Amino acid sequence: MLYYLIVCRSLTYAQRTAEALERAGITAHILRSPKSVAGEGCSHSVRISQRSLTDALPVLHRARLDPKRVFITSGAGDYREVEV
Amino acid sequence: MIYLDSAATTLQKPPTVSRAAARAIDHMATPGRGTHRAAMSAANIAYECRKEAAALFQVPEPDRVVFTFNATHGLNIAIKTLVKPGMTALISGYEHNAVTRPLHAIPNVTVKVAEAPLFRPEQMTAAFARQLTDEVDVVICTHVSNVFGCVLPIEDIAALCRARGVPLIVDASQSAGSIPLAFSELGAAFVAMPGHKGLYGPQGTGLLLCGVTPAPLLEGGTGSLSISQEMPDFLPDRAEAGTHNIAGLAGLLEGLRFLRRRGVRSVADGERALIHRMGEGLAHLPDVEVFLSGQPDAQGGALSFRVAGRDCEEFCERLGDRGFALRAGLHCAPLAHRTAGTLDTGTLRASVSAFNTPQEIEHFLKTTAALLQSR
Repeated sequence: MLYYLIVCRSLTYAQRTAEALERAGITAHILRSPKSVAGEGCSHSVRISQRSLTDALPVLHRARLDPKRVFITSGAGDYREVEV
Repeated sequence: MIYLDSAATTLQKPPTVSRAAARAIDHMATPGRGTHRAAMSAANIAYECRKEAAALFQVPEPDRVVFTFNATHGLNIAIKTLVKPGMTALISGYEHNAVTRPLHAIPNVTVKVAEAPLFRPEQMTAAFARQLTDEVDVVICTHVSNVFGCVLPIEDIAALCRARGVPLIVDASQSAGSIPLAFSELGAAFVAMPGHKGLYGPQGTGLLLCGVTPAPLLEGGTGSLSISQEMPDFLPDRAEAGTHNIAGLAGLLEGLRFLRRRGVRSVADGERALIHRMGEGLAHLPDVEVFLSGQPDAQGGALSFRVAGRDCEEFCERLGDRGFALRAGLHCAPLAHRTAGTLDTGTLRASVSAFNTPQEIEHFLKTTAALLQSR
């Protein structure tokens, strides 16, 4: 199953992101960013299902939490950055 | 014991505070250091605590709520961010050593003092207006004097700072949780406060509300941007190196929730009524000089007094022997005592919280009267 990872600069930012999504009815899960997408070391990401991204982006825009980097993955080590 | 030293630390807390702290010790690890259950439980507590504080103080984003060890820690971050060698700082005449000592430690800083008599907010505003000249780089002001409970007109002082483009640091040690305070309306660069006083959290907790990005006082692990040897440039990570006091934050969260339920205005009204009654009662006792405002809004939950011919520390000891916990001396605020003219004698300070009762105040007054007669 494919899902998206929204990479966040801090844990607090990830918590705000996940909270905004959950409040809009979008299931969101916080995890440590996989090392291959973390950039300069440790960070946190918010995982949402593939079908949720279209709904998630306007929610995050309204909350002024626009994602900087988003990856699509199957969870098997394959991460591809997507334009948002 | 009847506890009248809440200006130092509130001893009576909502029972949920100690329960939450104990639970955190048993079940929680550190935010941002993993996504296992123990780490995420801690992360949730930290986030809820930031949100609760942001709501209480009208901070636009929880990221701007930085956890500190106490108000002194927050003030050091704020002062060392904004005050550089050779700069000029303007402070009130009622500042604590938590403000004056960090300023003293920075080389070649000129410190100007805005002085006004106790409980004269309009004169304090005028003093700041006079002293806020072009060479002033930063203003630092307490909201409430820790010695006298004197409320400073922080909204007016903040307006002066905004009008003149000078950053403001507010020491809210005595007002946080006891007097409504709107960070977003003040437009302050920083507001520092302890968690263990009017917010009813455990010792070792504090909050720094950030209107600007602080310089790190400590460097270390943040669980973010680990490859970089610079501290992250974003909040709250930039100012929170090392493991959080998660047990303290769990307790602080419950203290903040208590305040939301009770209402800060309600706490303020209750404390002011107790202080006013205490001040009036003391004023009727022989040889007692009480520093009491005639306007209830000009005084918070603390009151100072002194007894002619009696050493304040000795008198405090006698009250302690009879079960009353007060604090005497200079209260780490020699500047405030100098401004009020009590530097030579010091004062006794009684301070209250939401948990004190009118009956305790009456008992205190009777005991003080008896002590005065017994000499």
